[in-house]
Amino acid sequence: MFRTAAAAARILRVPVLLVLLGLTVSGCGINNIPSYEEQAKAKWSEVQNQYQRRSDLIPNLVETVKGYARQEREVLEAVTAARSRATAIQATPELVNDPEAFKRFQEAQAQLTGALGRLLAVVEKYPDLKSNQNFLALQAQLEGTENRIAVARRDYIEAVRAYNTELRTFPGVIWASTLYRAQKPMETFTVAEDVRRRPDVKF
Amino acid sequence: MTAPRHIRTLWALPALLVFVSVALAQTLTFPQLTGRVVDDAGILDAATRAALTQKLAALETKSTDQLVVATVKSLQGTSVDDYANRLFRNWHLGQQGKNNGVLLLIAPNDRKAKIEVGYGLEGVMPDAVAKLILENSVAPRFRANDFPGGISRGVDDIIQVLTGDAEEWKRRAATVQSLKVSPEVNAAAIILAFAVMALIFFALVNYHSRRQTPGVARRDSDPWSWGSFGSSWSSGSSDGGSSWGGSSDSGGFSGGGGDSGGGGASTSW
Repeated sequence: MFRTAAAAARILRVPVLLVLLGLTVSGCGINNIPSYEEQAKAKWSEVQNQYQRRSDLIPNLVETVKGYARQEREVLEAVTAARSRATAIQATPELVNDPEAFKRFQEAQAQLTGALGRLLAVVEKYPDLKSNQNFLALQAQLEGTENRIAVARRDYIEAVRAYNTELRTFPGVIWASTLYRAQKPMETFTVAEDVRRRPDVKF
Repeated sequence: MTAPRHIRTLWALPALLVFVSVALAQTLTFPQLTGRVVDDAGILDAATRAALTQKLAALETKSTDQLVVATVKSLQGTSVDDYANRLFRNWHLGQQGKNNGVLLLIAPNDRKAKIEVGYGLEGVMPDAVAKLILENSVAPRFRANDFPGGISRGVDDIIQVLTGDAEEWKRRAATVQSLKVSPEVNAAAIILAFAVMALIFFALVNYHSRRQTPGVARRDSDPWSWGSFGSSWSSGSSDGGSSWGGSSDSGGFSGGGGDSGGGGASTSW
């Protein structure tokens, strides 16, 4: 009787120790790096979603403007070209670990922002277009999308900051140099696009 | 040889912008969420505030949607879109998980207004509808310095969209817009006739149901007269905020209290 109880206690000791060890280690932030990384990835996919949403609005917008302002061909073509350049960049999740590709992505999107800004500025010359139902709805959606992009970028920048900081500071740096050696810092936006600027248009 | 230096200065600019915007984020201050109507700019009289609070409380009782009206003295140097989103998140409007909050923000000194829509209501109130409410109901009254009128009308419209058939409202808003901008009234007149017919129809139905069960029907048809607003507000607000565990450890749509990603529309007058 006594012997079986002692044996049971000995057998139980191993899992109990394992659980304790697990709790202690997770208290040291062993999970922080993967969970911060997942958060940053989720924020990144939101950024992509919103850029995609903007991209999807553009063909309709270009068509509507064309109906009223066919002579603004240059501006319209610039938007279409900037859109296809931006969509040509494969927005894969790996993009965030590749500084060169990330820079290209960011620049292409910034160019598209600029082209769209010029298009909306040119529209001011066409009162009929400005009061067109379809255009008003598209304009509101585009404005809303630009806002969502700004918010998504802000959230992403914040999430990457947390992740990159964890990789480089104690105690995260211990895990980064042992368990998670494959984990690389993520790229982040350097141009603050949410700072509103008026596009300069020369007539 | 001076070219590289020039380039370096140019590259410092975006970095500076990021720094400025980060610094800006940290220095923004927000008014306390003291109720459903936070009149920090002091542009509303007590009667309007009370009436609005009552409507907003009734909306939450009916739909659990949290609509909050805020007026601020200043946007503190940022855009109305940015300020509205940060304020919305600071207050965690909307129920946890549902993210069904809406913020009507007015900055009278900056002459800017914004309807910020929580994630969960972006489908019910698309940007274009929010824009129409601001342009048709709110901004014209603000231009005439009628802040209580503009806010009340805006709140009525938002409530109508949130509780009614959004499609029907979109059509109605479109009609108002086309009446304003185009001289051809034919289509508008037809829709107006339909609207009148619909009104008569609803009035008949309402009258009929009221006659059947007077007490109950009356309550249903006029939910804004429901009592106990205070208690429902406090429970709603704790629902939205209590289990919020910091901004960075909640992922996307399913995170803590009500959240918003910049949906809605803004206007200036």
